[in-house]
Amino acid sequence: MISTSIKQELRSIVGEEWFLETPEDLATYSYDAFLQEYTPDGVVIPETADQISRVMQIANRERINIIPRGAGTNICGSSVARKGGIIMAFHRMNRILEIDPESMCAVVQPGVVNADLQKEVEKYRLMYPPDPASMFVCTLGGNVALNAGGPRGVKYGVTRDYLLGLDVVLPNGVIIRTGGKTLKNVSGYDLTRLICGSEGTLGIITEITVRLVPLPSAKATLQAVFSDVDDAAKTVSSIIASGIVPATLELIDRVVLNVIRDYGGAEFSPEAEALLLIEVDGQSSALEAQGKSIEKFCKERGAIQVDRATSAEEAEKLWQARRTAFGAVASLRPNCIVEDATVPVKRLPEMIRKIVELADKYALKIGVLAHAGDGNLHPLIMTDLQDKKEIGRVDKALDDMYEAAISMGGTLSGEHGIGIAKDRFISKEFSPSAIEIMRGIKRVFDPNNILNPGSFL
Amino acid sequence: MNLENVEKQFNQCNKCGLCLATCPVCKELLLEKYTPRGKILLARYYCRGGLDLSARCRDIFAECLLCGACSATCPSGVDLTGVFVAMREELAANKGLHPKLKSAVESLIKNHNISDEDNAERGEWRDDIRNMPDHMYERDRAEVVYFVGCVASFFPMVQEIPRNLVQILDSAGEDFTILAGEEWCCGFPLIGAGAPDRMKELIDHNLEKVKALGAAKIVFSCPSCLRTWKEYYNTDLELFHSTEFIQNLIDKGNISLRNLSVKVTYHDPCDLGRNGRVYEAPRQILKSIPGLTLVELEKNRAQSVCCGGGGNLEMADPELSKKVAQRKIEEIRDTGAEIVVTSCQQCVRTIKGMVRRKKVAIDVIDITGLVKRAIAHG
Repeated sequence: MISTSIKQELRSIVGEEWFLETPEDLATYSYDAFLQEYTPDGVVIPETADQISRVMQIANRERINIIPRGAGTNICGSSVARKGGIIMAFHRMNRILEIDPESMCAVVQPGVVNADLQKEVEKYRLMYPPDPASMFVCTLGGNVALNAGGPRGVKYGVTRDYLLGLDVVLPNGVIIRTGGKTLKNVSGYDLTRLICGSEGTLGIITEITVRLVPLPSAKATLQAVFSDVDDAAKTVSSIIASGIVPATLELIDRVVLNVIRDYGGAEFSPEAEALLLIEVDGQSSALEAQGKSIEKFCKERGAIQVDRATSAEEAEKLWQARRTAFGAVASLRPNCIVEDATVPVKRLPEMIRKIVELADKYALKIGVLAHAGDGNLHPLIMTDLQDKKEIGRVDKALDDMYEAAISMGGTLSGEHGIGIAKDRFISKEFSPSAIEIMRGIKRVFDPNNILNPGSFL
Repeated sequence: MNLENVEKQFNQCNKCGLCLATCPVCKELLLEKYTPRGKILLARYYCRGGLDLSARCRDIFAECLLCGACSATCPSGVDLTGVFVAMREELAANKGLHPKLKSAVESLIKNHNISDEDNAERGEWRDDIRNMPDHMYERDRAEVVYFVGCVASFFPMVQEIPRNLVQILDSAGEDFTILAGEEWCCGFPLIGAGAPDRMKELIDHNLEKVKALGAAKIVFSCPSCLRTWKEYYNTDLELFHSTEFIQNLIDKGNISLRNLSVKVTYHDPCDLGRNGRVYEAPRQILKSIPGLTLVELEKNRAQSVCCGGGGNLEMADPELSKKVAQRKIEEIRDTGAEIVVTSCQQCVRTIKGMVRRKKVAIDVIDITGLVKRAIAHG
């Protein structure tokens, strides 16, 4: 509980109407896109780094937990008040401060929506590559905190690869700057990239400098259907081995294809075991040849059907199955748990087989979407949280799934984060010494453990 | 929708937040409680006993255009607007009507229209028609009834819509009538006000009057009247929007359209497009006009952004309604069109109001007006 006098102090910093505590406000900041919800003790909405600094000084003095929250679209529960405290939201810090086409970078506040930045930089024929599925809603502060990825990751990488500098308010209120506008920077420890992916446990991000790349002038889109997952996986390897790096390389397994078909999302051959959606981007002159090569690889490796789009409308049609997938799956059962265990690319078919086996073993319905080009799987567990018995089996399946992913040299999470969703599994991936180093880093930044406590560490 | 069905809807919500991307209200009011996802979660908290209804809660649910953009975006198929309407009803039943809607609802019940005027004046829009036939479009029997709707009947800014439509129908030789003073409000504003239980008298009256005319078809220039008839009136009569009706007349060769060298854009009204799934009829009409160039808005058809005039928001929070309209004008301006055409009197009012306020050089016209122009031209 927060005392009236402290609430008054917070109000005097951010403005009367920007500290919220009505039941409606507390209810609507109790969640993100993960399952578990925790009602916070308040919501504070600052406008400047200076205000954040002053809020943090009070929080640190009074040992009040602060949980930063962007748009609340993360699916690992990294922006909920698990141990109570105040949610800090960034609705008022939503300005693009600068687009610098000459230095190929942009400076933004944390509350800027990813797609809004994309749209602005496109006016300069530039691109900000990270494109999480929630890009029309999620904010860049959240993207940095979670090191968000997206379908374009196979060619372009993830948020961390585009991060040049940050302004960060530490839990004690001190403001630090890391990195800058230079593309190269090897001075000291790389605090910029340390804070990226720290899930709001080290500091509050108040300004972000990102690198931009030239906007590709064209793209080619193909879809291939396979009657064997291995054939699809071999196709993925052969495309990459040939030197072509697709911007997108998505795989949909049989379970999800059937759900999409039943949902009326698209039609596929009844023999379809896997579908690949492949997109290459770049100069239009090169794309024609690349498209043809990919078509050839698919056919040579047993694709039963290959479609190559010849227009933007046709490309959109090919994307339809992938775009419908999540909605179709989500509407089947009351809840859908989106996992993101990730393995080295060549182990992908093995991991998919493991998931099929686990679904069978624990009598669960699990489909697989995968960013196949980077081995990032999204097993979709269709379930019902109210069914305690089934949830017990889901937990066991998850346990086995992570065990398998780690044993293949993979990771618990490719792009969604650990948060409160996977904290209990973290010792599977890290040795006690590695975890102790992380805890040590946390102590240096946040000795009183007031920033997003209860999330992953 | 009763609360049991509401529960089914929020159980389906996985809180992904994608509805935030298309909601025009949460572009302006940034707090999570005003987002579609937030409102769904509030409904869930209430239904599960975790939240008491309050005047504050009623204000939150009033900040919504009921435009349906969220429902169309939801990957899990949640009927968000259905939940919002049910919650408005629940709030009105427990906490009373929203103070800014109270007098409008009461006047509607008393006068049978939304304008606080004597319903006998419902046909006064005819006064400016030149060469008015003796029957003044009021017949004892007719195959088609034109249901004019309150806004087009009483608001001078949009009275040209019925004036144009009756002349179009006349020129095509249609056997039609209006109900004039015997037309009562369809009840649509009561749904958004949380008082659908008070629609019965209106529905019974309108059905009886239409039946007495021996009509087989009803044509509506108001998409929301049409939607209300489709969803709340139990009738076998054929119901058409004016755009569908006019398109049929063009297809049959009963209307011929002459050259209009204009560049237009088209705004899909929420209740006609996304919520009524009529996208092509108005576009077909526009394509039938020789010389006309249609430039689509960035967001069109199911993605169309509300003009700001939906959900009784204009009454509950006029400032917010204007902010939404302002964004609409910017989107329209980006097309470079000289005319924005739509097919709803409420959209015309909202957009035209903002165009005048901001002194934007763009003409705002209902599609009936453009058709009338193309018939008369040359």
